[in-house]
Amino acid sequence: MAKTPDPSRLELLQGTLDMLILRTLQWGPRHGHGIGQAIRAQSDDLLRVETGSLYPALHRLEKRGWLKAEWGVSEANQRAKYYRLTAAGKAQLAREQDRWSLLVDAIGRVMNPAPAGKE
Amino acid sequence: MRPGSQAFDDEIRGHMALVVKERVERGEDPETARLAALREFGNVLLTHESMQAVWCPRWLEMAEVLWQDLRVALRSLRHAKGLAVTVAAMLALGIGANAAVFSVVRQVLFLPLVNRDADRLIYIRQSAPGIGASNITFSVPEIGDFRSRSTTVSAFGDFSTIDFPLVGFGEPRVVQAGVVSGSYFEVMGLRPVLGRLLDARDDGPDAAGALVLTHRFWSASLDRDPTVIGKTVRLGARDVTVIGVLEPSLPYPADTEIIANVVTSPHHLGATMVTERTHRMTELFGRMAPGATLEDVRGELGALHAALAREHPAAYSPGAQFQLSVTPLRDQITAPARPVLLLLLAAAAVVFAIACSNVANLILARSVRREQELVVRAALGAGRGALRRTLLAESLVLCGAGALLGVLLARPLVSVVGRFAARFSVRALDVTVDPSLLWVGAFLAMAAAVVLAYVPRLPLPHAPTRSGSASGGLRITPGTGGRLRVFAVTQVALSFVLLVGAGVLLSALVALQTTNTGYNLRQVLALDVPLPMEASGPKAADFYQEAMRRIETLPGVERVAVGNFVPWRDAFGLLRGTTRFAVEGYTPAAGEEDPRARLRIVTPGFFAALGVPLTAGRDFTDDDRPGSDLVVIVSQSVAQRLFPNGDALGRHMWWTDPYFGEPRPRRIVGVATDVDDANVVPGPSLTVYHPLRQMPYGGRLFVHTSGDPYALVQPVTRIIRSISADQPVERAATLADVRAQVLAPERLNAFVLSAFAGVALLIAVVGVAGVLAFSVSARTREFGVRLACGSTPRQLLTHVLGEGALIAAIGIVAGAAGGYALGRVAASSVESLRLPGVWPVLGAAAVLMSAAALASLWPAARAARVDVVQALRSE
Repeated sequence: MAKTPDPSRLELLQGTLDMLILRTLQWGPRHGHGIGQAIRAQSDDLLRVETGSLYPALHRLEKRGWLKAEWGVSEANQRAKYYRLTAAGKAQLAREQDRWSLLVDAIGRVMNPAPAGKE
Repeated sequence: MRPGSQAFDDEIRGHMALVVKERVERGEDPETARLAALREFGNVLLTHESMQAVWCPRWLEMAEVLWQDLRVALRSLRHAKGLAVTVAAMLALGIGANAAVFSVVRQVLFLPLVNRDADRLIYIRQSAPGIGASNITFSVPEIGDFRSRSTTVSAFGDFSTIDFPLVGFGEPRVVQAGVVSGSYFEVMGLRPVLGRLLDARDDGPDAAGALVLTHRFWSASLDRDPTVIGKTVRLGARDVTVIGVLEPSLPYPADTEIIANVVTSPHHLGATMVTERTHRMTELFGRMAPGATLEDVRGELGALHAALAREHPAAYSPGAQFQLSVTPLRDQITAPARPVLLLLLAAAAVVFAIACSNVANLILARSVRREQELVVRAALGAGRGALRRTLLAESLVLCGAGALLGVLLARPLVSVVGRFAARFSVRALDVTVDPSLLWVGAFLAMAAAVVLAYVPRLPLPHAPTRSGSASGGLRITPGTGGRLRVFAVTQVALSFVLLVGAGVLLSALVALQTTNTGYNLRQVLALDVPLPMEASGPKAADFYQEAMRRIETLPGVERVAVGNFVPWRDAFGLLRGTTRFAVEGYTPAAGEEDPRARLRIVTPGFFAALGVPLTAGRDFTDDDRPGSDLVVIVSQSVAQRLFPNGDALGRHMWWTDPYFGEPRPRRIVGVATDVDDANVVPGPSLTVYHPLRQMPYGGRLFVHTSGDPYALVQPVTRIIRSISADQPVERAATLADVRAQVLAPERLNAFVLSAFAGVALLIAVVGVAGVLAFSVSARTREFGVRLACGSTPRQLLTHVLGEGALIAAIGIVAGAAGGYALGRVAASSVESLRLPGVWPVLGAAAVLMSAAALASLWPAARAARVDVVQALRSE
């Protein structure tokens, strides 16, 4: 199902969705839609998470024990599932953040090499 | 822990509500907002499923997918019942045949024997190729020497066979008995199921007569009667006590019903047996000493045997080339069955390959017809993996059904194949249906399923569907037609190989059956009427004369005679061998053996009764009796070879074997046409006939009748029993039936391979017909154009027929080339293998060509009937 990519949007890098979700939940429990909206807002509308990926990802994280889910009532007066970060989730977020900065740094060096100087 | 299905729905609904609310707040009207939210969400079902999938254990998920695929497969196969049934039946044939044959092969060739430490058990054989004796066995002095001198063999067991009249178990009858010394069962490592076995206590001339029943005899004839232990029966001239029942084990070297100790056989106690080094009639087994290897034993016994030959030059003439061989017992027992079973396994494998390739054809043709469906599925987002999975599921269902049917089919087949193999190795007698059937069947089915799933090509991912389903025509993925042809050619080639094999066996069989044996086969009834050895002498001769006199008065009886040898049937008994003799006026060169001849004993009228003409001299008469001149009749070969001047009549011959004591010259009074009563393929036979009165051992009655020979069995038995109430009368059969029975293994061989070849041919015919039918239906338009351009229907018919003939021809050439290569490879490992003659090859080719022509007739006729207008309009 190839779609013509929208140039104004970025494709999420493989494996980063989990990290973004964990990060978003750092400031307190949210429901799925809220998480999606938060990622979008934080990225200045550059990142939009497909619901088809978001919800399975939430369940995956919940299954691994990084999130805890509770049912609540949403702004739309509907039953909604609120996700909250667990202690294990916090630890995982820290790990992924470290790995991420390392990766960005490494890729940055490859892509923009420092001018060859004698140190 | 795992949320219910409702929870996923709730979560998605909650999400929707939030999106709609936001949109409405932005000013959209609720309906537009709802639709937009739905659109934005994408595939609800898919999301639902992927959420659910997160919580599924991986195997459960796969099982669920598989289950779903299988359900779809079953549904889609319901619409193609004919195909499903054909495929399953064909696979069942292939799988059934393989499972059955494999099961027998495994049990016969690979399972261990029941004997304790069977791998330490050896079989020792003495042969003398110089005089054509492949198994000359051992004499008691020879065995004694081995016993006292060998260190690598810890114990020897000896076994000889002898026929005893047995009275006490039902009808009086003659049983083949094993006669063994006390060490035999210990060496063989066998146990009793009841009572005890023979041991050292039963040795020596003063022991009481004792016998052990084989398990087979105990179950078949005595209904497993446990009270049989301690029972006394009459064996020959002695009372003998039943002391035990042997566990089920392989009867080797002879399938005897009872095994008795030495004291029961007067012959075994005689001086000839005990002291005569050349009186060989005992088979020898051994148990290797701890630490000794087979090589050690071979080396030591070989050296020992050479030493014996040096010490007793008279008993081992150089011309006879005495040899000793030592084989593990298991190899000895299974070796004769090995080539036959491997041949069978190969034939079954070929049938399986043909069946698979034909099934592949059908599946391929089907996949072309359903290309549309696959294209639609691909368009709806099914990945290549998913499409393959669907195909795999279908072939799994088909192969599973095939395997199930195949295993059901294999169950009865096992006993058929087992009985067949039993003619070559006694091991196959005990073949049973075992679980190996199941796993072989399952394995073959899996293999077939995987192969079949990869046969059809998937539609190319980005090739758009050009023609809608409206066109109704078939589009063929490039190469499909070619693949179909390759499969058809393969089938023809493989069937060709099997047909040639069957042709070879059949032509050999026909040659055997049409051979002129020299006997009147149909009108002569042969019966065993054995007298115990002790009853021999003038009394025996009188008994037979009286019986003959009375039988001659029966209506329909033309001639009656007594002999000591039923042609072919007795060729495996005590008289299988030949005996050394000398004639007046012929001296063998130095180092050359005396000539050897078969010794036969007959009454006057024997030659006339069996239809064997005398070419010179006279028949025996009642005046050839003990007191008068000793006379013999010789076969033509004897006369020609030893009396090249044609003056055999009136000259003398005498036996030189020490068994006959002092040589007594006997005058040759007649010459009879050669008949080979030992081999089914007649060869020149040196035979010397004695009159029964001068050598009173008979035992075989021949009745020549003008009517139905078998109608005489009852009256003849009655007459004999009226003379002697306990007299066994057994194994009545015409000479034709005796010969047929001896030929049974050959016939069975030919039959089994022909059956395989027949199945293969049938499958190949279906294959060729299928390919052509498919090609015709795919080219309807082309044929329409051809007709429109002026081709006649006749030309189209020829065209399709030619196509069929081409497939067959290529197949035959490929089969011949492959078969030839295979034959060359196999010939290097199987000595007795020869490449087939011209006739079986030409015959097989002719059969295949005509079968292919028949197979292409129907599709060809369809091509010729194509309606031009309809064909052209079809696209």
